[in-house]
Amino acid sequence: MRRRRTFGLAAFGAAAAIALAACSSGGSSSSTNPASSPGVTGFNAAVTSVVNPSTTKGGTISFGNSSAPDSTDPGNTYYAYMWNFTRLYVMPLMTYKSCPGQCGLQVVPDLATGPGVVSDNGLTWTYHIQPDVKFEDGTTVTSQDVKYAVERTFDRGLFPLGPNYFAGLLGGNAAKYPGPYKDKSSKDKMGLTAVDTPDATTIVFHLAKPFADFDYVAAIPQTAPVPPNKDTGANYQLHPVSTGPYMFQSYQLNKQLTLVPNPNWKASTDPNAKQLASKITMTMNMNANDIDSRLLAGDLQVDAAGTGVQAAARSKILSTPTLKATSDDPLAGFTWFAAINTTLAPLNNVHCRMAIEYAASKTNYQDAYGGPIGGAIASNVAPPNLVGYKAFDLYGATTDPGGNVAKAKAELQACGQPNGFTTGITYRSDRPKEVAAAQALQASLSQVGIKTSLHGFPTSTYSGNFAGVPKYVAQHNIGISFYGWAADWPDGYGFFFYIAHGKAISPAGNTNQSQLNDPVVNNLLDKMTNTTDAATRNSYTSQIDMQIMKDAAILPGVWAKSLLYRGTSLTNVYVQSYYGMYNYAVLGVKS
Amino acid sequence: MITFIIRRLIGTVFLLIVVSMITFAIFFLLPRLAGQNTYQLATQYVGRNPTREAILQVEQQLGLADPLYLQYGRFLRSIVLGAHYNSGTGSTYCPPPCFGYSFRSQQPVWPQMVSDLPVTISLAIGASVLWLVGGVSIGVISALRRGSFFDRFSMGVALAGVSLPIFFTGLIALELFSYKWPIFPNVTYVSFTTNPLLWARNLVLPWIVLAFLYAALYARLTRAGMLETMSEDYIRTARAKGLPERTVIVKHGLRSALTPIVTIFGMDLGLLLGGAIITEVTFSLHGLGLFTVMAIQNQDLPEILGVTMLAAFFIVIANLVVDIFYAVLDPRVRY
Amino acid sequence: MPGALLEVEDLRIHFPTQDGLVKSVDGVSFSLERGRTLGIVGESGSGKSVTSLGIMGLHQGTQAQITGHIRLDGEELVGTQPTRVRELRGDKMAMIFQDPLSSLHPYFTVGNQIIEAYRVHHPEVTKQQARQRAIDMLERVGIPQPSVRVDDYPHQFSGGMRQRVMIAMALVNDPGLLIADEPTTALDVTVQAQILDLISDLQAEFGSAVIMITHDLGVVAELSDDILVMYAGRVAEYGSAADIFARPGHPYTWGLLASMPRMDRERLTRLVPIPGTPPSLIRVPSGCPFHPRCRYGHLNGGRSETEVPELRATEETGHLVACHLTAAERTRQWALLSAGQVPDDVKEPVPQGGVEA
Repeated sequence: MRRRRTFGLAAFGAAAAIALAACSSGGSSSSTNPASSPGVTGFNAAVTSVVNPSTTKGGTISFGNSSAPDSTDPGNTYYAYMWNFTRLYVMPLMTYKSCPGQCGLQVVPDLATGPGVVSDNGLTWTYHIQPDVKFEDGTTVTSQDVKYAVERTFDRGLFPLGPNYFAGLLGGNAAKYPGPYKDKSSKDKMGLTAVDTPDATTIVFHLAKPFADFDYVAAIPQTAPVPPNKDTGANYQLHPVSTGPYMFQSYQLNKQLTLVPNPNWKASTDPNAKQLASKITMTMNMNANDIDSRLLAGDLQVDAAGTGVQAAARSKILSTPTLKATSDDPLAGFTWFAAINTTLAPLNNVHCRMAIEYAASKTNYQDAYGGPIGGAIASNVAPPNLVGYKAFDLYGATTDPGGNVAKAKAELQACGQPNGFTTGITYRSDRPKEVAAAQALQASLSQVGIKTSLHGFPTSTYSGNFAGVPKYVAQHNIGISFYGWAADWPDGYGFFFYIAHGKAISPAGNTNQSQLNDPVVNNLLDKMTNTTDAATRNSYTSQIDMQIMKDAAILPGVWAKSLLYRGTSLTNVYVQSYYGMYNYAVLGVKS
Repeated sequence: MITFIIRRLIGTVFLLIVVSMITFAIFFLLPRLAGQNTYQLATQYVGRNPTREAILQVEQQLGLADPLYLQYGRFLRSIVLGAHYNSGTGSTYCPPPCFGYSFRSQQPVWPQMVSDLPVTISLAIGASVLWLVGGVSIGVISALRRGSFFDRFSMGVALAGVSLPIFFTGLIALELFSYKWPIFPNVTYVSFTTNPLLWARNLVLPWIVLAFLYAALYARLTRAGMLETMSEDYIRTARAKGLPERTVIVKHGLRSALTPIVTIFGMDLGLLLGGAIITEVTFSLHGLGLFTVMAIQNQDLPEILGVTMLAAFFIVIANLVVDIFYAVLDPRVRY
Repeated sequence: MPGALLEVEDLRIHFPTQDGLVKSVDGVSFSLERGRTLGIVGESGSGKSVTSLGIMGLHQGTQAQITGHIRLDGEELVGTQPTRVRELRGDKMAMIFQDPLSSLHPYFTVGNQIIEAYRVHHPEVTKQQARQRAIDMLERVGIPQPSVRVDDYPHQFSGGMRQRVMIAMALVNDPGLLIADEPTTALDVTVQAQILDLISDLQAEFGSAVIMITHDLGVVAELSDDILVMYAGRVAEYGSAADIFARPGHPYTWGLLASMPRMDRERLTRLVPIPGTPPSLIRVPSGCPFHPRCRYGHLNGGRSETEVPELRATEETGHLVACHLTAAERTRQWALLSAGQVPDDVKEPVPQGGVEA
């Protein structure tokens, strides 16, 4: 799924408690002042409050990026940091409320005037957009621009990198619609019959099946308006037409992007973004350690990827009180886990899988990720800041974090493998933490007689060619695949569908690497698409979580945390829970 | 000599074709041998959780499902004749030499390489001047003062220089001179035409780090070459003629000793022009080396092909120049 | 001797090495007048090249310890400023070497190299004049089409032509002394004769003194007025060529003569080689350095092993020999040897050590 996400509503209080307890080892920081009082400083201050609130304009914010964005075209990107960053230059229909803490998990209108109005037994969603939002060239945004933006995402040949929701959710001719470039049926490029634009400020989506989470889908940057007459197709990424506070000044592909204030943006139409700095730059393909060093030296203000500093900077920060006081360790929204193959003998017997759950040392798993700073030990799959999260612990993750050999052996007896068995473990070889976690698991399992062989593959081909190819996995006796998950929106359905629904199993690029096809789980997920009542959805979420754990289809590892360095010259810094990193749309800089 | 050059240039073209074929083969055939089909290959170029349709469309868009000879033919044709690319809203023309469009960004590869080239050239040429001057002079002095403290010390340092990897010396250099004492803060490439002073200032650390490695090599090579040359008979003759020692060393000795050095230099420079990978990655310089690393990480075939062939081209041309140079330097060599 | 162009007196050249002190030249004396040729003969390692390099001052910059006297035209060279010796080198005294291909710089034209030799000692000369001089010299030494070939590179000449070029380069400044170190060893026999003729002609024309270093007695016989036989860094025999060929005094010289194939001997007469190998210059044999290889050493009542023989005159002509044998014995043995007989009171020496393993 999308690479980073944090979410959570009611249960965020619990999450915050866990986060703070896990982070502030030694309790040296005094950061637990949840009110957004100005002047709050210290470790983790930005997790719950706005640090350096300010309305001062001017200055340059420099972002450093250790790779290049998958795309700067809002219709073609799937990285959390880009969904965060694009809000600087586009306005999707909905967005997440810009505020620290649990507040930031609410989905609120952005370009739209209000959340979608549901009708037709959940099959029709109607949005009204603000009438006075303008593009950077001064032309007014209409609903057709939004429809066009959605239509573009259907051309998967040109825009393969973004999420796929519209093609799957919309009705009408969505199943066959080839995108506006190839569509011959409509002369004005409005050929997608699933979307209506009865007037300039109204847009109507017709779904194929009810989908209660559609507001979240509307928050994806793919709904940010694109003027058809200014669209340049694959070249649009070079200069997307802005509706946000900033616009492109120059973009050298894979090298440097420079944004300057958009004169046609009105703050009153976009309360979730700010236009403070007079220049924003992102330098790409930088050396990751170099980025950290420059952050600490003040030459850069933000590490764009927002996944935390590298090992070298981490030890420096944690051991230097002044540096630690300007750092935050928020929940990233990921769960790192190992998927256990439910179809491969002898793991097709649930007791053999439970043996793995008992045998694994959670402490060692956590250590592989850098100890408590790197993540909190997970006892179930859903992270604490997921809507509907309920804590439970079936296999002693919190009570016996070192693993329980006796219980593991008992389970082995129960599944008819008293002397253990042999299987393979896959992991992503270019992620040192995952490598360490795999090795730790191998060691834990060998203690109960489960002999494992390790198979590492690079991330780029991991799910496409190896762990995500059921045939490969079967042929090579792969019983355990290291993986990680963060959902696209802070909701149980978004989190669990791709890793637990039988329909999500795919011949290549498979995300349901447990290949779990449990009708209980499938039914609960299906029901969620229809249910709009929050309490019911929440209960489904925890039930799904519980069932997955009962099935022992997943061995949860840690709920990831990112150690972020808070550039000292930044203003309005706080962690947007949904992204698990600083909110990029509101930053300013001290002059 | 002219026929020699022409023959070599024709050979260059063939060599580049072979290089491109091998790159193609490695890219496509090796995974195929491992049991991967193009459908699986295409999944690398789509986002997460792709639908089957998406993968098929990408396969189509990138031409991955076409037979290899067709893809290769398309590639050759675009280099010679250019290619048209349908960006959706229109057709863009990519003039020859067209190395296709990046699988990832759908943007033409050649302009990206061209914009990365000045960085690599600046890095390579600046460092090469440093290491040539530094390495050779130290080598000459060491040879002439063989066994002295200078000789032993400089050869010891040279051993360190040859043994220490660039990412080590580079990181130390950055830590000391960029972060701790901001003498060279914010090492980023500034083009020479924009600001020559800043261009030079930002390149000093990478130059020194890169030159250190090569200077060490060249010092040792020059020393060995000088020692050998100075024991040649014609040196004795030069002295017997009553020439001052400096003339003997420089005109008679160094001139001979440098010939192999110059040829090695040409080849080293040719290799570097294809991308000083480690240096660029360490210092976050957007040159061809960094481009190569990213292209490989992204499994972006057009980019990989483009940079491989460009690097091969530089190496081949450097070899040719070196051979010509050698013929100019050493009259015994005739083509 | 007054009037001599070159006087060498008790010259010793020692090299300290890790293994010990190498006494390459250990007490050599001779003199040479203008217009005369001295042939220095000996095996490899006898010290002949080291001596000539010492005369030229080419040990400068090495570890060589040089004592004794070298007087060129009255001027003492041992211990003088190296800059002074350099001025003389190539100008008043010149040297040509064994292998002209490796002794000429491959990258410069022969003209360039000759001009260089000329201009370093005549800096006031213009380039044109120097070039003309080079062409003249090439013509003088018999190079055809000299004005064309002056721009050729050494590798474009044959072996004999190359040696002529070296001679041209050596003589361009009219040196009083020419030292030729094995100038014909690397050449064919026919070319050898040409080169020797050339040297002889030029000597007559320029009036220079020539030192001809060689291991080949035939060459020596051709050209030399005087002969210096060296063994283990010392003089074994020194005298006029006539004297030495007619009445050779030192058993080593006998060995050299007897081991030469000669046209006037019967074919079936066996060649008599000198047994053994040249001695180590670090551990020179005690007493007479030749004694381990000498057939006649036992005739001296043990003196050969303990006492270094002095270089003594045997005749009034100044023919000097360093040997313990009495004059009478010497004459007798030589007569027998030259008749092809080996007397029975002569023992075949058992080659002993004295050679580095």
